[in-house]
Amino acid sequence: MLQIDYSSRAPIYEQLVDKIKTLIVKNVLKVNEQMLTVRELASQLTINPNTVQRAYRILEEEGYIYSVTGKGSFVSDKIVNIREDQVKTELVKLNQVIERLKNLGVYVEYKPKKGDDTQ
Amino acid sequence: MIIVKNLSKKFDDDQILDSINMNVKKGSIYGIIGPNGAGKTTLLNHLAGVYKEDIGEIKINDQDIYENASAKQNMAYMQDEIYAYPQYTIKNMADFYKEMYTNWNEDRYNKLKEIFDINDKKRITKLSKGMKKQVAFCFALSKKPEILIMDEPIDGLDPIARKKLWNIVIDDVAKREMTVVISSHNLKELENMCDTILILDKGKSIIEKSIEALRTDVHKIQFVLKNQEQEEKLLKEINVINSEKSGSIRVVVVKGEWNEIEEKINKYNPVLLDRLNLTLEEVFIYEMEGQGYEIKNQTI
Repeated sequence: MLQIDYSSRAPIYEQLVDKIKTLIVKNVLKVNEQMLTVRELASQLTINPNTVQRAYRILEEEGYIYSVTGKGSFVSDKIVNIREDQVKTELVKLNQVIERLKNLGVYVEYKPKKGDDTQ
Repeated sequence: MIIVKNLSKKFDDDQILDSINMNVKKGSIYGIIGPNGAGKTTLLNHLAGVYKEDIGEIKINDQDIYENASAKQNMAYMQDEIYAYPQYTIKNMADFYKEMYTNWNEDRYNKLKEIFDINDKKRITKLSKGMKKQVAFCFALSKKPEILIMDEPIDGLDPIARKKLWNIVIDDVAKREMTVVISSHNLKELENMCDTILILDKGKSIIEKSIEALRTDVHKIQFVLKNQEQEEKLLKEINVINSEKSGSIRVVVVKGEWNEIEEKINKYNPVLLDRLNLTLEEVFIYEMEGQGYEIKNQTI
C-alpha cells in the first residue's frame, strides 16, 4: 500500500514515482506483474487520476513499466537491467570508498554474499 | 474546454466578480477556493449559464453557454442547495429530469441510488442537508455529463459519503475524461483532487495555479547567519512573503525557484540552513497574506 505524505514538499506524482520504483526494485512488484489501473490506484488513495496517470507515464518513459492497450500496465523486464545498473554504480562507489580507506591504511575486503543477486 | 475571459458581474452596486480569468482543460479537475462571500457560487452560476455576464466572455467548447440549451445537455450543475417542488419525492424529481435531459441514464441513476443507499420514495424537502447533497449528486451524475460543476459538494457529508462521491468522480475522470469544476472553502479536501486551483476573494482572482506549482514555488526555511547585517542584506535578495525571528534563528517563507534561493543563502555561509515542511493550507494562508490579507489572531 502506497502512502502520500501531504506535508512533504515533493509533488504527489513524484512521490508516487519514487515509491513505485522502490517496490519494483525491491521485487515486491515482480516482472510482468500487472499494476493497479490508474482508476484503482486513484480511488485507493483518493487522489486525482491525472496525477496517477502522470506518474505511470514517467515510469513508462524510464522503462520501469510497459502498457498494453486495453489491458493496463505491467512491470517491465527491463527492471532486471535497471537493477543491475544500479548495483554496478553502487559497487563502483563502494570500491572508491574501499580504495580511499586503503590509502588511509585501513584494509577492507568485500565479498558478495550468496543470494544478494549480484552474480 | 472552459475559457473565461475578463468576467465581471455587478448586482446593484456590488461588484461580485471582478475581471476573472479561467482556463479549464478537458479531463482536468479545477478547484475554486475562497472564503465565504468571495463570489464562488456567482462564478459557478456563470459557468453553468444561469447568469449572464456584464463584461467579458465565457466559452465552453468555443460556445457561449448562456441560454444555450444544447450545450447544457452535456453539463451537470450540482448546486449548493438542491431545488425541488415542495411535494416532490426523489422519484418524482428523477422523472422530471428524465423528461428534461435526453441523455438521462436510468441504469446509472439506479446504480447511484444503490451506492448512496437512497430511498427514492422520500420527499426531498424532508431530507437532511447531507442527504440532499447525495441526492443532488446522483441526479447530476445520472446523465453522464461531460462537464460536472459542483458547488460545495462535500459540505455536510459524512466521511463515507465523501469517499463514495470522490470515487465516482475519480472513476468518471479516469474512464471518460469528464471535466470537473468544484468549489470549496476547504482547501484540504481539494488539494489531492485538483489539477489546478483558483483562489478567489472579494470577487477577484488571487491566484490561478497548478497544485504542483503551488507546492513547489513556496518554501519555508530557517537559517542562522553570522551577523545581523548579513541577514538584512540576504532578506532583500530573496522574495520573502513571511518572516519571523525566534532567538538567533530566522524563519522565512520564500517564493521562487529553490536552487536559486539556496545558492543566494549559501553565499553567506550560514551557520544553519534547514528546509521545513509546508502544507498546502499554509501556502494558501501565506499567499493570501502576501496579497495583503492579514490573518489576525482574533479573540472576543
